[in-house]
Amino acid sequence: MTMETTELKQQVKEQIIKFLNLTTLKPEDIKDDEPLFGEGLGLDSIDSIELIVMLSREYGINIQDPKDGRKVLVDVNTMVDYIEKNRTK
Amino acid sequence: MSRIMITGMGIISSIGTSLHENRQSLIDEKSGISQLEFYPTAYAGKLPCGEIKISSATLNQKLFSQPDPAITRTGLLVIHAAEEAVRDSGLSKAQLSSTETALIGASTVGGMCLTDEIFHDAHARAEGTPYTSSYDFASATLVAQKRFGILGEVSTINTACSSSANAISFGARLISHGFARRALVGGADSLAKFTINGFNALNILSDKPCAPFDRDRNGLNLGEGAAFLVLEREEDVKGKRIYATLSGFGNSNDAFHPSSISPEGDGPYLSMKRALEKAGINPAEINYVNAHGTGTENNDETESRAMQRLFGSPPPFASTKSYTGHTLGASGAIEAVYSILSLTHQELYPSLQFNNPIPETKFEPLKHYRKQSIQHVMSNSFGFGGNCTTLIFSIL
Amino acid sequence: MLYVHSSNCISPQQTFPETELCELRESENNQLRVKEPAYTNVPPGILRRMARAVRICVGAALPLIQGIQEPDGIIIGTANGGIEDCIKFLNQIIEYNEGLLSPGSFVQSTSNAPAAQISLISKNTNYNNTVTHRGLAFENALLDAVMLLKEKPDGIFLVGSVDEISDYNFNIDLLAGSFRKEIVSNRKLFDHPTIGTIAGEGVLMMTVSNQPEGSIARLNDLQTIHTSDEGLVLETLKQFLKRNGFPRIVPELLITGENGDIRLDKYYQAVEALFPENISVARFKHLSGEYCTASSFGFWMATEILRNGKIPDIALKKGKKTGFNKILIYNNYRGMQHGFMLLGKAEALSSSKQ
Repeated sequence: MTMETTELKQQVKEQIIKFLNLTTLKPEDIKDDEPLFGEGLGLDSIDSIELIVMLSREYGINIQDPKDGRKVLVDVNTMVDYIEKNRTK
Repeated sequence: MSRIMITGMGIISSIGTSLHENRQSLIDEKSGISQLEFYPTAYAGKLPCGEIKISSATLNQKLFSQPDPAITRTGLLVIHAAEEAVRDSGLSKAQLSSTETALIGASTVGGMCLTDEIFHDAHARAEGTPYTSSYDFASATLVAQKRFGILGEVSTINTACSSSANAISFGARLISHGFARRALVGGADSLAKFTINGFNALNILSDKPCAPFDRDRNGLNLGEGAAFLVLEREEDVKGKRIYATLSGFGNSNDAFHPSSISPEGDGPYLSMKRALEKAGINPAEINYVNAHGTGTENNDETESRAMQRLFGSPPPFASTKSYTGHTLGASGAIEAVYSILSLTHQELYPSLQFNNPIPETKFEPLKHYRKQSIQHVMSNSFGFGGNCTTLIFSIL
Repeated sequence: MLYVHSSNCISPQQTFPETELCELRESENNQLRVKEPAYTNVPPGILRRMARAVRICVGAALPLIQGIQEPDGIIIGTANGGIEDCIKFLNQIIEYNEGLLSPGSFVQSTSNAPAAQISLISKNTNYNNTVTHRGLAFENALLDAVMLLKEKPDGIFLVGSVDEISDYNFNIDLLAGSFRKEIVSNRKLFDHPTIGTIAGEGVLMMTVSNQPEGSIARLNDLQTIHTSDEGLVLETLKQFLKRNGFPRIVPELLITGENGDIRLDKYYQAVEALFPENISVARFKHLSGEYCTASSFGFWMATEILRNGKIPDIALKKGKKTGFNKILIYNNYRGMQHGFMLLGKAEALSSSKQ
């Protein structure tokens, strides 16, 4: 894992907490491979839309079909992987 | 307890500015869903809506001898529909302004149709706009209170998309308990950037005319409109034209999720069941259902499931949102008017844009207009926050 | 009409979880804001999404319904619901020019969110209603509960009201002329009446039923009227009192919504003048601030006075401090929406009007 990836993971965790207002969590409470939806963080469909908005505003990534979002928003690892490949800012 | 009679109705929607025009569009299967021409939003030309093709300025001139600078479009729609209902019922000025007359309005948008003006006033940029007292949900009801000089109970309800269905039952209950002798009840909503962008952010607006109960439905169309009913006590209506009686109503909260209905349709099932209990009739006696039928994936599937639980195989049903779009807080009252028109004229209005049934239930809504002898019509309204309400209208 | 069994009032003063009204908490910049309590009963996963109005409402409601039979209905009066989230969403619309928007604040901004969230958290599929009738939203929510108790005489209902201040609705109401242009402390709100008052917010949640046993107070009657004509307001009050046994039965305490706005003084003065000289008068807008459902604070104060037998010094305008069996509350919003509520000790009024 590169230094950049480690930093990006930390940043993404901070952004998840900020966008979803998970005020009781700290970045270190979210494991890289912890499922975001269902078990794990227990997020729901509105949260997935919030995270798509986050990817657009923070990284310039536009996911048109929310169904595509489900493949990206599995855990922090999948999000970071997708951001590294597709970010425009 | 005396029965509650409907003696007057008024309506304005994208399929007509009167009872007559609305009924004719339903018979002709003519939809009011189109691209926006009047409401200024970035989605004009992209997301079709049930827009009333009359500007607010024109409505204001038509309804007020001296145009009211503080009235919102929602308020104008209220006055338009309420005036027709009052005329239709033949209520006198004295009856209207009596302390025995109640007015119950409903809205989910209220004055928020003025998105840019609210933004201006909320950030206190210099002087206020004329609308600083017009943004809330009550403002449109208060315009009608003033217009008619109503001194009885006046209230406004906002239970999201079931608001005006609850306004109708609230008015009926006021009469039943002796808090009013008659009631003007209904609701209004106009198109707003607030709702267009809000529903769009949730990915539930369709870029095509909505297809309620269709397998391939992909969302709702927003609409605007208003409808009001005059409710009176049975003993006060001798010699008057009576459209129908409000025989049942039921209210339930689905208690599942802020913006979607539970998979088994618990709230919808309970509101329908409670309305039947209140009316004292069996599910098999319902001849026609004006479904909530928004055209979203979640609603149509859960409403079908709830109908399956209640009816087994449902009676003819349709969603008139395929004509008007989803008029939110007004939809309960607008669809109450359509349900009563069905009873009055002994005819059923079909759903538009239906091709293939939802695989799980295989229910098909009514596809063609037809004449039929009917006695009881059920109208469903379900909203965000799980607020579910069902009304049942009957002829004697 | 109905009996109040339990209540929680979260207000700008020390009223929750314990009540201590000796010291007046002071307003800042013409606003009296509530201090939010710690929410021990609300799941954090749900709390994170709630608008402030929804949070304080749920925070006041949940402790009341835990450990009792499931309420047969939940009714909340709120003029504006979560207005801050509502305008945050409008801000997004403007800022991102109707582009890709975050839907969370839209879902929370619908004014039925407080009542809906209570149903959702407590898994209550019974009756649920939200009354949004500006300055009479609380009174009309009570009226719904009164009717529900006629329909289900052995029922228990959760009823109340909530409204919040955000900078946004403060600005809008300031432009509409509701608030003082100069800064005034709530301690001096009544010293120099002029145009405008100060802003407030708060929540009251109560359980109500037809059972006198174990109740705190009884709502004996309720009446509202829409008019700016003070003659008509007085006429309405006279009829209201008459049907409640006046002049044979006279309330010993009048609680008014007097708020230091000179435009409304004529209504409050006319109502006060209708009663004998020796009636006690209390007021509360310097404690709660002015908001659409502020009469709920007056209602809560009346139930506390009936329970404790005495008026807090800071609320008394004139007259004796103890010995109250019947309390009349009169509030008006912007000189257009007037509400009268008659409360009594459960025993004291049990022989009069049902």
